[in-house]
Amino acid sequence: MPGLGARLGRGGATTTLASLAESDCIVIMGSNMAENHPVGFRFVVKARERGARIIHVDPRFSRTSALADLHVPIRPGSDLVFLGALVNYVLNSERWNSDPFFREYVLHYTNASVLVSPDFRDTEDLAGVFSGYDPQQHRYDPSSWQYAGRVQPLDGERWPCRPRIEPERDPTLQHPNCALQVVKRHFARYTPELVEQACGVPRDLFVEVADTILANSGRDRTTAFCYAVAWTQHTIGTQIISCCALLQLLLGNIGRPGGGILALRGHATIQGSTDIPTLFDLLPGYLKMPQAIPQHATLADYFAHERPATGLWYDMPKFLISLLKAWYGDAATPENDFAYEFLPKIGGDYSFQSILTMMKDGIIKGLFVMGMNPAVGGQNARLARQALANLDWLVVRDVHEIETASFWYDAPEVRSGEVRPQDIKTEVFFLPAAIAAEKDGTFTNTHRLVQWHDKAVDPPGDARSEAHFVFQLGQRLKELYAGDESPAGRQIAALTWDYPTVGPHQELDLMAVAREISGYRVSDGRPVAGFQELADDGSTACGCWIYSGIVTPEGEHRAKRRRGDDRASLDWGFAWPANRRILYNRASADPQGRPWSERKKWIWWDPEQQRWVGYDVPDFPASKPPDYQPPPGARGLEAHPGTAPFIMMLDGQGWLFVPRGLLDGPLPTHYEPWETPVTNPLYPAQPRSPVAPVFLRPDNPYHEIGDPRYPYVITTYRLTEHHTAGGMSRWVPWLAELQPAGFVELSPELARELGITTGDWVVVETARGCAEARALVTERVQPLVIAGRTVHVIGMPWHFGFGGLATGGIANELAALVKDPNSLIHEAKSFTCTIRKGRLQEGVVR
Amino acid sequence: MAELRRWQHRRAPGEPVSAETRESYYGLPVIHGPHWRWPIVFYFVLGGLAGGSAVLAAAARLVGGRWARSVVRIGRYLAFLAVLPGPLLLIVDLGRPERFHHMLRVVKLRSPMSVGVWGLVGFTASAFLNALWQAAEDGLLGRRGVVRCIRRLPDRGLAAMSLLPAFFLAGYTGVLLGATAVPLWARNALRLGPLFLCSALSSAAAALSLLVGSGPDVQRVRRALERVEQVALVGELALLEAVQRGSGDVVGRPITVGLEGRAYAGARASAGLALGLHLLARVVPRRCRTVLRVLAALVAFGGAFLLRAAMVFGGRCSAEDPRATFVMTRGERH
Amino acid sequence: MNSESTLVGRTRARPGAFGFLTDTTLCIGCKACEVACKQWNQLPMDDFGFTGMSYDNTGDLGATTWRHVAFIERVADRQGRRPTRLQPFQSHWLMLSDVCKHCVNAGCMEACPTGAIIRTEFDTVVIQQDVCNGCGYCVPACPFGVPALSPLDGKAHKCTLCYDRLKDGLEPACSKACPTDAIQFGPVHALMDRAKARVAELQAQGVDARIYGDEALGGTGGIGGLNAFFILTAPPEVYNLPAAPELPQRRVLPAFLTTALAALVLGVATLLSFWRTKEVRHG
Repeated sequence: MPGLGARLGRGGATTTLASLAESDCIVIMGSNMAENHPVGFRFVVKARERGARIIHVDPRFSRTSALADLHVPIRPGSDLVFLGALVNYVLNSERWNSDPFFREYVLHYTNASVLVSPDFRDTEDLAGVFSGYDPQQHRYDPSSWQYAGRVQPLDGERWPCRPRIEPERDPTLQHPNCALQVVKRHFARYTPELVEQACGVPRDLFVEVADTILANSGRDRTTAFCYAVAWTQHTIGTQIISCCALLQLLLGNIGRPGGGILALRGHATIQGSTDIPTLFDLLPGYLKMPQAIPQHATLADYFAHERPATGLWYDMPKFLISLLKAWYGDAATPENDFAYEFLPKIGGDYSFQSILTMMKDGIIKGLFVMGMNPAVGGQNARLARQALANLDWLVVRDVHEIETASFWYDAPEVRSGEVRPQDIKTEVFFLPAAIAAEKDGTFTNTHRLVQWHDKAVDPPGDARSEAHFVFQLGQRLKELYAGDESPAGRQIAALTWDYPTVGPHQELDLMAVAREISGYRVSDGRPVAGFQELADDGSTACGCWIYSGIVTPEGEHRAKRRRGDDRASLDWGFAWPANRRILYNRASADPQGRPWSERKKWIWWDPEQQRWVGYDVPDFPASKPPDYQPPPGARGLEAHPGTAPFIMMLDGQGWLFVPRGLLDGPLPTHYEPWETPVTNPLYPAQPRSPVAPVFLRPDNPYHEIGDPRYPYVITTYRLTEHHTAGGMSRWVPWLAELQPAGFVELSPELARELGITTGDWVVVETARGCAEARALVTERVQPLVIAGRTVHVIGMPWHFGFGGLATGGIANELAALVKDPNSLIHEAKSFTCTIRKGRLQEGVVR
Repeated sequence: MAELRRWQHRRAPGEPVSAETRESYYGLPVIHGPHWRWPIVFYFVLGGLAGGSAVLAAAARLVGGRWARSVVRIGRYLAFLAVLPGPLLLIVDLGRPERFHHMLRVVKLRSPMSVGVWGLVGFTASAFLNALWQAAEDGLLGRRGVVRCIRRLPDRGLAAMSLLPAFFLAGYTGVLLGATAVPLWARNALRLGPLFLCSALSSAAAALSLLVGSGPDVQRVRRALERVEQVALVGELALLEAVQRGSGDVVGRPITVGLEGRAYAGARASAGLALGLHLLARVVPRRCRTVLRVLAALVAFGGAFLLRAAMVFGGRCSAEDPRATFVMTRGERH
Repeated sequence: MNSESTLVGRTRARPGAFGFLTDTTLCIGCKACEVACKQWNQLPMDDFGFTGMSYDNTGDLGATTWRHVAFIERVADRQGRRPTRLQPFQSHWLMLSDVCKHCVNAGCMEACPTGAIIRTEFDTVVIQQDVCNGCGYCVPACPFGVPALSPLDGKAHKCTLCYDRLKDGLEPACSKACPTDAIQFGPVHALMDRAKARVAELQAQGVDARIYGDEALGGTGGIGGLNAFFILTAPPEVYNLPAAPELPQRRVLPAFLTTALAALVLGVATLLSFWRTKEVRHG
């Protein structure tokens, strides 16, 4: 989640679900929270009962809207206009300019006063691109986005780090190049009129939303934003999220109870799988994966380019070296750079969409699929299946024989005779997997809360946990590569892979894994109390520094704790980092360390104890006084003053202007989705993201802007009744019967035009493919008037496929490969299509 | 599944799903209808016939003279024979027939089904005794000692004793239907018992008048039976009209339209026709009378069957119609 | 607004009676109750197929469906205009998790000729599966359409209010699974107090809320209130619930009386007929 990370420091929800109950206003946007996070939604309901206003901004009237006070129908893909207009509205509002709270918060806790380099040019100046754009490479050179200021190289370090920047500031916030003024200018054209024109949201409705948010932000009130993948899955997804962070910083809502941004993750423990990642470009704990570039050649090179001089990331060597010690044990020594050479260095984009094309093009030969169903869940699903069909081998581990395992005999193109099973050379291995109740383990939920779950029953037959499989696979690889002196062989041999096993199935002892993740002293194996104890000399090992301390020195797994209370519930599970529940909670107190208000008390400075105290674990050095001023040349956290809540950031401040960390610009800018029926009202010359990675290939055709053959906007989404690509729900009778068939939702207005009746078969079509579904004609979907013309929106759940009990046309058959440059997440929330009544010649649906 | 999809045909292109919830919940029933079908219709007809026959036999025995003995004899046999399939039909209708005896675990006065089962048991016993006595009397059982014992039973007492269960059997089924949430039945709870009773008596009288055959007193017997039949038919006609009018447009819809509606109209026409034929028989030449009377009896009997079918299947339709339930359960504030 | 009558909140439930308060204003239609119920009670899939009835693919309570979430779309007015300022809580897409009402005076129980349907020590109404013989009389005797005969085993089934769980001191599966506490389990009297307070609170916010299942609405006509009751924001008919149902057995005695009267009349007529009929003279 670089959107939050770039502005606040960490790519995770800033607050907790329970804290929503203390909100005065909750804006749910880019999320259908009631349907996809029903358990977390209980806190929204609780807030509503306490009188909070619930605003749902969404193209469809969903089960979330049903419990909201305001439903704001918006055109899919126009979220950034809406958010940008909120920023503009807030900055020019009387309240924001007159209430001293906002000025105090923004001046001290954000980089509003920093002067931006005079070389910087805004999209407003360059008709839709920022300075530094290379139109040939479709990428930015961010050097002109830097702060204006002095650069100080640092020396005398054990491990090198980047030079320190001493930015110039204007505390009056009036300098035309100070971040606040840059932001103000950038968003000046994001007016309520633009919202009406681009989003289809009536002006007065937008103003009501803006006024509600503004009235519920301040010293005594807080507004929270909840978003999910409907913000993420855009070519500008990261910038949409980052715009929300910008807005919440301006409103003083970050780090405070009932405020913040709740990133609702796509499904169970997705947060966990980015913390200890399954992502190709991250190491555990959000350490950047080394790349095959000269700047990352050695450990020292890596630090010289990645390690900042100030902020908590200054401690990066402690985290990375402890990680290397955990992975490579005795093979990691100071002499060999702690086996840094064994870390794979990535040479390109290996995100999901890219590996699909690499598989299809024969570059990737084998694939493990665990907990995923790319034959249904992969964008341009037909291409995804062609990719699977071009592999040498494919291992699918799942609880049911999902489409990814059965595509070679059951896919639509096989049934239609277009592809013959005997022509598919892929050797498919299907291995039965255990479900959550059949294994011990933890979930890291949407607000970074790690909770342990016990095994209830043994898995049936040969079904085993993922941990079992991966451990066994590792052991066999070690046997296979024994004595192999190639780099790969040495790397595998060096890996510590000696976990104890338990039980009749020889399941991995997960407590042993947890102890490794939590960290320990290498000399005696004693668990460390937290990441503060980690060292950069190889004396400690830690599998993931942000999880450090999850196992106590006494050996207790804190994720097993189950003692809740009405506040932070610090004894319920464990929240990374260091059990902090609300991140950046230093901001819940004023610069002097006093609570902003009695009602919104969270942590505060106790002058007697000379400590930060309160309901939560301070996300701040516990004994750093509010009036602390860093001495010259201070490094790490010591370089931050006592008023810097954002400890991960270079300057300890939330970034209104982002000089580094985002590939598509320092400020959020509205670009239309890659496929759109309307043009960009702001930048007609640059309607789409200039840096979105696209796949220009014949098997992935795109629609032109305003292509009359594909006049409708389609958005894909999920239902409460099913789970992602359906592997865990479409085969389960009790769930399958609740939503037994694929369907599309369309408005009565469009249905009348096309003569479609509820229950009819319809075919939705794009240049990539078509999908058959049942029609559900409902007023919950409505046409929007965009720039004077009616734009129809079609909604289609993407759970369905050709296998299981609940079947239906595959929505991803329609989607294209195109993605956000930062997160490399696809754009599935808004593209264009056409729809007709009838069936496919060769029925996709049984 | 088919039940739910039945409502789809009402949909029109472009009509939002919300349109289907304006008058009812997608047209789905509010209540669950009974599963009863033909076995129950036959049971109702046969039960009525048995009860009515027993009543006629008992009345003939109690106040009729020797001339009415044919009614007593045939009535007793018919009552017994007609009731015999009853328990079988009921058992066949059970979801778990092997557990039929669970009906006899308890007596629940507020459950017409429970009371009915016990009534049926009582009636069967009484009909059996009456028929046994009659068989002994008629010499069908030989001359053994047991038979002499049977004949020693008080004949008039048996007849008097049979009256109550006979009336009960003929009428309780109407109460049983009335004590449900089915709108058509609930609306007519007070009328169904009397209606079924009238129909039972008219059909039994019609059946007996066909069966008494020829004898010295057959004309007198027929006259007596006809009188009963006519009274019952008049009552039946009046009640049929009352049921139709009392049900109103919505609740009465199943007995107005469709197959059930035709059956109901048929029942009414049959009763009227039977009555008319009887009246006609009085004025036509004697040689035609017998034909008319036989015809009248057949029509009356057919009417009794149509009535049960209309009410049982009409009740099923009624339960399916949410509007009927809403009419029946409309609160004061609506 | 239905002020007083909706706040009556009277039920004749016995002290110690347990039941459900299903508060539709908190329901998000997630159907966790349906799934939890089917899972705990090991009920088979019904597979009604795609119904097109909003998100309701269950339709109705039945022999193998003991919780059913109804969905009623009220997004647009008749002209198709969609409001954006919504009534607080659930107002434009109504969802109700229907369940057996566990009536204080239960039509099904009174109708049951075998004594299979009993009232438990928790004041809930349960069909004993080892006794039921599938006569089906409880089915039309329920004013709410709850019990149904199963084609699988021929017996009548309905919600047991998780009698087995209650025996072990656990709350029923549906209320346990409900994420928003729209389904609350507890002593009926306490739940009723809570419901009254909630309705008053909602009415103060301008919501047309009412209790369904007290003696004023839903628990009418001799039913004496429902142990499983609801908070609604629309007339009950909208949710396919009868407003003023009647206990069918209330009609038993009057119906027997009219039948007896008819029997008397017909009996006298019959007796008279055999007594007075004279011999027909030939000639």
